[in-house]
Amino acid sequence: MSVALQAPPLKRTGAHAIDAVDLGVQYSLRFTKKTTLRQSFMQMFSREPLEPFWALRGVSFNLVRGESLGVIGPNGAGKSTLLQVLAGIIQPSEGAVEVHGHVSSLLTLGAGFDSELSGTDNILLAGAFLGLPDPVVRDLMPSIIEFADLGRFIDAPLKTYSSGMRARLGFAIATSVDPDILLLDEVLATGDADFRDKSKARVIELVKAAKGIVLVTHDMGWVTEYCNRAILLEQGRVIHEGDPAETVKIHVERSAQRKAERAAQLGTAAI
Amino acid sequence: MLPFAAMSTTSEVPAEFRHAATRPGPFTLLGEALADIFSRRRLVGYLVRADIKKKGADTFLGNLWWVLDPLLQMVVYVVFVSLIFDRATPDYPLFVLAAILPWKWFTSSVNDATTSVTSQGSLIRQIQFPKIVLPMAATSAAVVGFVFSLIPLVAIMLFFPHRFSPYLLLIPVVAVVQFLFTLGVGFIVAGVNVFFRDLGNVLRHFLRLWFYLSPGLYSLQMLESSTFFEQNPALLRILQLNPFATLFEGFRSVIYGSPDGGPHLPDFGALAALAVVSLVLIAIGGIIFKRLEPMYAKVL
Repeated sequence: MSVALQAPPLKRTGAHAIDAVDLGVQYSLRFTKKTTLRQSFMQMFSREPLEPFWALRGVSFNLVRGESLGVIGPNGAGKSTLLQVLAGIIQPSEGAVEVHGHVSSLLTLGAGFDSELSGTDNILLAGAFLGLPDPVVRDLMPSIIEFADLGRFIDAPLKTYSSGMRARLGFAIATSVDPDILLLDEVLATGDADFRDKSKARVIELVKAAKGIVLVTHDMGWVTEYCNRAILLEQGRVIHEGDPAETVKIHVERSAQRKAERAAQLGTAAI
Repeated sequence: MLPFAAMSTTSEVPAEFRHAATRPGPFTLLGEALADIFSRRRLVGYLVRADIKKKGADTFLGNLWWVLDPLLQMVVYVVFVSLIFDRATPDYPLFVLAAILPWKWFTSSVNDATTSVTSQGSLIRQIQFPKIVLPMAATSAAVVGFVFSLIPLVAIMLFFPHRFSPYLLLIPVVAVVQFLFTLGVGFIVAGVNVFFRDLGNVLRHFLRLWFYLSPGLYSLQMLESSTFFEQNPALLRILQLNPFATLFEGFRSVIYGSPDGGPHLPDFGALAALAVVSLVLIAIGGIIFKRLEPMYAKVL
């Protein structure tokens, strides 16, 4: 199955798994706050202009097949928004993104679980959400149950699960598919120490199998170890793109600098 | 070790996509809406099954409420209208039940559709799937409740055997028209509720008013013979244009008939007209839903 592509601003190059050109994602603050009718009426008559907020702006990059791209940056830099755009969850407000291949994001740990349904039903439902055909999900079922180590709880409703069990089930489902492009967002701290080792091994296995990876993490060790390229995002803009070690170095330097500036500000404020 | 399933083999998700800052036209959106539902019909099926499993799982009497609820409501209206107002309509319990059942179906569909998108916020922020399956599944699951509520209808029918007729087999015909209408409404309320979370509160009162303005507890014929409406034919015309005038009269003619005669054929012309209007409403609802869809992940 393929989607008919519209006329470019993008050059379609077969070697690219992801092409992003001048991506911008704007959040209109009018609706991102939880609105009620009363609030919208008030806003309609208020003179204060609502400042649009750009979570990402002017971001361009591509991911060559087989490449692994690390995305680093401080909190609120737009890293997770970028992954949402690449997963097709959020549409860009500016620019365009083209993705060639099935995308799987490990953002999906336990999302959409229904606590009234049993583990089995939740696996089937999650499979349907991911677009996996029924026989495939049924084939995977025993190994998912085994990996999540749920035992006889699999037929009990999810509301009886501990949070660790839920997380394990979510992880097992999310990692049971082999995508062309893997999007990873800090999912390694799942469950107890035992399961964390198991899940880390699993992620490494996925990373090795994937044909393209975008990895968002605060763990610089992962970036230098598993990525061939990295980009540094700050306030929605690309500050640096290039060799992982070099990008990490710039990021660390800039963070230290910001920290020093904040400390200096606090210092002057105190005096 | 856990095996992988290759996503590329037979997945229902397209293997590539291109998102750009464009505003597709209404016909593109409508085409996408239909394609979304068709390509993910299995997901709709799972959501419907999950919904049915859940409903009634958490109350003591469980699914029995699907049967008890309309009966109790019928008792309330019968006590209210025939005892307190002393209005003599023959076989009134059956008369009013013929309206309660479709109305209960409609309100539960609309209520479920309203929250269908907002209740899945965490999922919408984390995976890409066509959101239109959510109101589609909510309205489809409500059909099952309606089918179950035909059990009390059969039970009450036993008390009025002279009203029993083969016209009952036409219930699905009227029901299909109501389903189309409900689906159109469901798409609209599901999309709008993302931006105005108090839509549910507004709807609750709006729906109650709508019921009393629809010929459920009374028939259109009773209105036509009242002096007030004889003097104000325009008002009567408005009430006749109400979709639920057509639906209630349709259900009543095949279940109850008229006060002094048995069940008869429904007004097929009116039903066909409503079906056409409903298809237009589905198109409008689908376009509105798809137009708003890119914003859901940001707002929820």
